[in-house]
Amino acid sequence: MTSVGSHPTETGRRDVVLAAREVAKHFPIKEGVLQRVAGHVKAVDGVSFEIRRGQTLGLVGESGCGKTTLGRVVAGLSEPTAGAVLFDIDSETLAAYDGGSSVGDIETAHKVDALTGDAYRRFRRNCQMVFQDSFASLNPRHLTIDIVGRPLRVHKEASGSGLTERVVELLEQVGLGRQHLYRYPHQFSGGQRQRISIARALALDPELIVLDEPTSALDVSVQAQILNLLHELQQANDLTYLFITHDLGVVRHMADHIVVMYLGTVAESGPTSAIFENQHHPYTKALLGASPDVDAAEEFTGLEGSVPDPAHPPQGCRFHTRCPVATARCGWEVDDVVRWIEDEPGAAGRLAGVKRDSAFAAELAFDDAATAAVVVDAIRSGRIHASMPEAVLKAESRDSRVDVEFGAVPDVELSVRGPGHVAACVHESLLDL
Amino acid sequence: MTESTMPIASIRDLRIHFRSKAGVVHAVDGVSFDIRRGETLGLVGETGCGKSVTARSLLRLNPMPPGIHAGGTVEFRGAGELPVELNGVDESTLRAIRGNRIAMIFQDPGKALNPGLTVREQIAEVFYQHRADELLDDIGLTDRAGLVRTLIAREASLRSRWIERGLLRVPPLRAHRAALRRAVDDRVTDALAETQIPNPRAVMDRYPHELSGGMRQRVMIAQALACNPDLLIADEPTTALDVTVQARILDLINDLQRRHDTAVLYISHDLSLVRRVCDRVVVMYAGKIVETGPTEDLFANPSHPYTRGLLAAIPSASHQRGALAAIEGTVPELVDPDPGCRFATRCGFATPMCETTDPGLAPVAADHEVACFIHHPVPGGVGPAYEKAAT
Repeated sequence: MTSVGSHPTETGRRDVVLAAREVAKHFPIKEGVLQRVAGHVKAVDGVSFEIRRGQTLGLVGESGCGKTTLGRVVAGLSEPTAGAVLFDIDSETLAAYDGGSSVGDIETAHKVDALTGDAYRRFRRNCQMVFQDSFASLNPRHLTIDIVGRPLRVHKEASGSGLTERVVELLEQVGLGRQHLYRYPHQFSGGQRQRISIARALALDPELIVLDEPTSALDVSVQAQILNLLHELQQANDLTYLFITHDLGVVRHMADHIVVMYLGTVAESGPTSAIFENQHHPYTKALLGASPDVDAAEEFTGLEGSVPDPAHPPQGCRFHTRCPVATARCGWEVDDVVRWIEDEPGAAGRLAGVKRDSAFAAELAFDDAATAAVVVDAIRSGRIHASMPEAVLKAESRDSRVDVEFGAVPDVELSVRGPGHVAACVHESLLDL
Repeated sequence: MTESTMPIASIRDLRIHFRSKAGVVHAVDGVSFDIRRGETLGLVGETGCGKSVTARSLLRLNPMPPGIHAGGTVEFRGAGELPVELNGVDESTLRAIRGNRIAMIFQDPGKALNPGLTVREQIAEVFYQHRADELLDDIGLTDRAGLVRTLIAREASLRSRWIERGLLRVPPLRAHRAALRRAVDDRVTDALAETQIPNPRAVMDRYPHELSGGMRQRVMIAQALACNPDLLIADEPTTALDVTVQARILDLINDLQRRHDTAVLYISHDLSLVRRVCDRVVVMYAGKIVETGPTEDLFANPSHPYTRGLLAAIPSASHQRGALAAIEGTVPELVDPDPGCRFATRCGFATPMCETTDPGLAPVAADHEVACFIHHPVPGGVGPAYEKAAT
């Protein structure tokens, strides 16, 4: 950009623009008159990644997987419950942080929610956000010049006629012009409104822009215009993008590195080519299989079932309830039995009560002994899932009660699958499955 | 033509305009196509191209006013029935067709289902509306005469007044009413089970907000297919859903369609989905059809510059980043539009003739029609050509 560059940012040329380390965001579920906290929705539960200068990180997943929440945490719009978002840090310092040395010092200097004063203002102006719904994110009562000029005014960058000139310059960068200065958002089409959002994000010459589904409300021909524009701006201004989307075609086109999220955790992450050529997580594979490509004519498939409740995420691998290649090591638990009883009428009678010792062991109570026997048989014979008999330690009926216990399985950790490529799956490879 | 080869619905030169402050908006302007028995016809186009308005005209759901029916016919031929011109019929005939012979699945199941009714009540309404006689059959009351039958028949078709509903609480009638309820419940359960909803008996008593997006869409499909319609209109049925759920819902519609031999009008803006799902495709732009043809042929040889542009704009692995072939410009205002080709303002191949003369649909291959001068040059006129623009 031409007229900027004079502002006092002193952000150096540190190579990692942003790093997330075990970031978690839990929302309390409140109940009753006293608003007692009854549990937590674990929207984001321990996510780590880093974005290098000039690159685009794609964040993909289904609705409810926590990608938008993570985007908001990264942009400083909400505070993480745990973990750290580190801004503008070089690789050596980051390695030292990961190694556990001088954590306190590094956090004071780089951790977003610990920054104060000038450092915090510097973060704010260098990290901007573009939202999905440009109708909702542009104030309908403000003119374009106020919307795009607001960041400049707040940071005392420009005023008066200088401000107008800066806004015109910004509008020209995104393909609009002087004639659009004094119009309201409703006078623009969807694509033009998204351009205004982008101009506003560019106003302070930021280093990082968080793009939260910037094109999902747009038609394909307009989407192509916006994606081309984003690419041009990235080249011209050396921008770094965090691109949040559910559209794999878009992310493949735009991103250098992809993080696939499922139920608040990272299922797989790696360079775009690696993710698209050799998936190491069945969820990534299912996502790719479900999104039709206009060039290829192969069959596309979906997934059974729905995303589990993020207040009670499944044990072991969070994907095991829907996974087509689940094994005995994937974390079968009491909830899987309960879900089967509820979803299969006629297969078993009504469940009267559950007394849990842990997620893996419980006593299920039924109305009669026959039902209890049916359930025990279903667990032992693999009717609920073929790999369940192998995972079960105990399944016995006592009259109308069933004691059931599964082998406890720890959460599946991310393991290295290639250069920069990690996946959280018990399988070494999915190629022969 | 015999009945089996006659199209199930024919739209001819349909024009629907809307009155607005700025003038008359020509939302649909001379659209003609057939929907054949048992086929899936894709209606594709971008926001505001008139695809939803066209589809809604099959059920006469466009609000009038502000809408104006400015011309054209919509003819529907149900199985074994006489053709009906849907714009000419009275409300009661239309009621007998809506939800019974022609059903619709809406884009957002969260908005289309009534939040105040349980799933059971919403689906039962379809049976009460259209299958009252069969319900009487189910409970063995058809052959009986007299007050009991009359009262239950009125109850079964939702015509009971408060006093009749009171009478139905009295013991001898109560048993019949309970039997009627059971008969409806059985049908609702069957309808839900068709859409592979696990545990339909439990889902029946839930409210829409208690269900996930995919489940809600299944409920809406169950409701739409409850009466075995001849034509199902699916207006972007998976746009509000996740990709992983989308494939399941499309499989489901496809499977039910094959089993019941239903014709489907599938409205979408997603060309890659249309390619998977549809037998034939109609591409609309700014209220007019620009291209129509069999799916295979249309995707192999897209002939209208707009169709080509749409296909090229989809990001895929083969594109260089930043080099997506966007269609520049925006959709033109449809207030008193120019007489020429509506795509001329954004078309890379446009000639002066395109701005003054409407090309009109003409065949380029079997069953494949295009509205562009590139493919049917006018004698004497200087038409556009792909080669010319390329040099």
